[in-house]
Amino acid sequence: MDTILEYAPLLAGGTATTVLLFLCAAVFATLMGALGAAGKLAAGRAWRWLVMGYTTLVRGVPELLLILLIYFGGQRGINQIGDAFGFDYIELSKFAAGVFALGFIYGAYLTETFRGAYMTVPTGQRDAAKALGFTTAQTLRLITLPQLVRFALPGYFNVLQVMIKATAVVSIIGLADLVGLAGDVGKSVRQPFSFYMLVFFIYLGFTILLTEVFSRVEKRYARGLDR
Amino acid sequence: MKSTFAAVAVLATLSTAAQAADLKICVEGAYPPFSSTAADGSVVGFDIDIANALCGEMGMSCEMVKSDWDGIIPALLERKCDAIIASMSITPERMQVIDFSNKYYQTPAKFAGAAGMTVAELDGKTVGVQRGTIHQSFLEGEFPGVELKLYGSQDEAYLDLVAGRVDAIMADSIAISDGFLATDAGEGFAFFGGDYADPKYHGVGAGIGVRQGEEELRNAFSHAIGRIRGTGEYSTINAKYFDFDIYGG
Repeated sequence: MDTILEYAPLLAGGTATTVLLFLCAAVFATLMGALGAAGKLAAGRAWRWLVMGYTTLVRGVPELLLILLIYFGGQRGINQIGDAFGFDYIELSKFAAGVFALGFIYGAYLTETFRGAYMTVPTGQRDAAKALGFTTAQTLRLITLPQLVRFALPGYFNVLQVMIKATAVVSIIGLADLVGLAGDVGKSVRQPFSFYMLVFFIYLGFTILLTEVFSRVEKRYARGLDR
Repeated sequence: MKSTFAAVAVLATLSTAAQAADLKICVEGAYPPFSSTAADGSVVGFDIDIANALCGEMGMSCEMVKSDWDGIIPALLERKCDAIIASMSITPERMQVIDFSNKYYQTPAKFAGAAGMTVAELDGKTVGVQRGTIHQSFLEGEFPGVELKLYGSQDEAYLDLVAGRVDAIMADSIAISDGFLATDAGEGFAFFGGDYADPKYHGVGAGIGVRQGEEELRNAFSHAIGRIRGTGEYSTINAKYFDFDIYGG
């Protein structure tokens, strides 16, 4: 217990890193998902193929592998570009690699979530809006999006719940996140079990907190609808 | 113009500016007492003290970069650090991808048994050893008169030594010292005999890893190791962590 207290500030910092990683990755994943869904729904065949390649690739590759590929492979790419143009060594930070990897992976899942939600909005509504003289932008903003958000939320939040646990995987590249630090500290003081138990409870706390927040948001977007 | 600024800003957040330190050293931080994480997040231990001593000797400023053990060689290869000082044993497999300096330590193998025991008494006795280790091969090759009892894990060998089922055990000296002799169960037991570090069985020790082809840096480390051995700086660090000479024979 004393050891845990002694290391508490360090682990609090690790927890903050994990939370920040989650938030940044969530923003990036949402952007990738929105872009992906737009691409999949777009008329152009090239776009559809591009997005299909992205989602297939990401869903077929283990997260761990992709994180290692981005961190070490990305660094190799930067080094080669740097060597070719005579730049000095530019470091790809662990945090940026983690955000990019998680956002890239979960963006692929969100692509499907968003696409599904868009398709749940009946086409008749868009036809009616057109008949009433709404522009495409107005239709999207006033009619499709508010419903799309409501349809997308349960799936969206589900993916985010999974993603917060996936933040643990990023410790493989040595990022000083909660899991990485707890592992190092546990081994350093030869009490791995007590530190991993602490991590267990912190992640459980995250999940309970997120579930609470998400259910409130879902209720808010579902207001006015009978259930 | 605006987009140029944006690109620069993105690059700046993605990358940390070139470090002021001359050398970046990859360390592990999860292998006490060689390398462990302190409460303030810094890495401390024998490896780190040696790293600082070597950098001082070479007249370079060094920065410790914490790296996960599994990613430590890729980190070196992708230039995230310039050298690995992480108790890495020099092995032929590793030498296919990186180069090593001379060893900076080699934990010897040692016998442990009831306090007061000697090697001369070993003939015909039973020695516990972990299965498939360098220690098993060493005992089979060099101590044919000893009966071996093999264990799946080192901890089982300790338990049977305490229970009296074996007369002695042989393993890495640090493993025995930290995992057994320093614990309550190890009371009344002690090391006996000499330090065993035969390259044929035990390899050549832990070295400093550098990228292949960086001969200058590799030689600089090897020379610096020799010099801190000579100046006594090595012994000072050694004494801080261990009560025997960890450099080996």
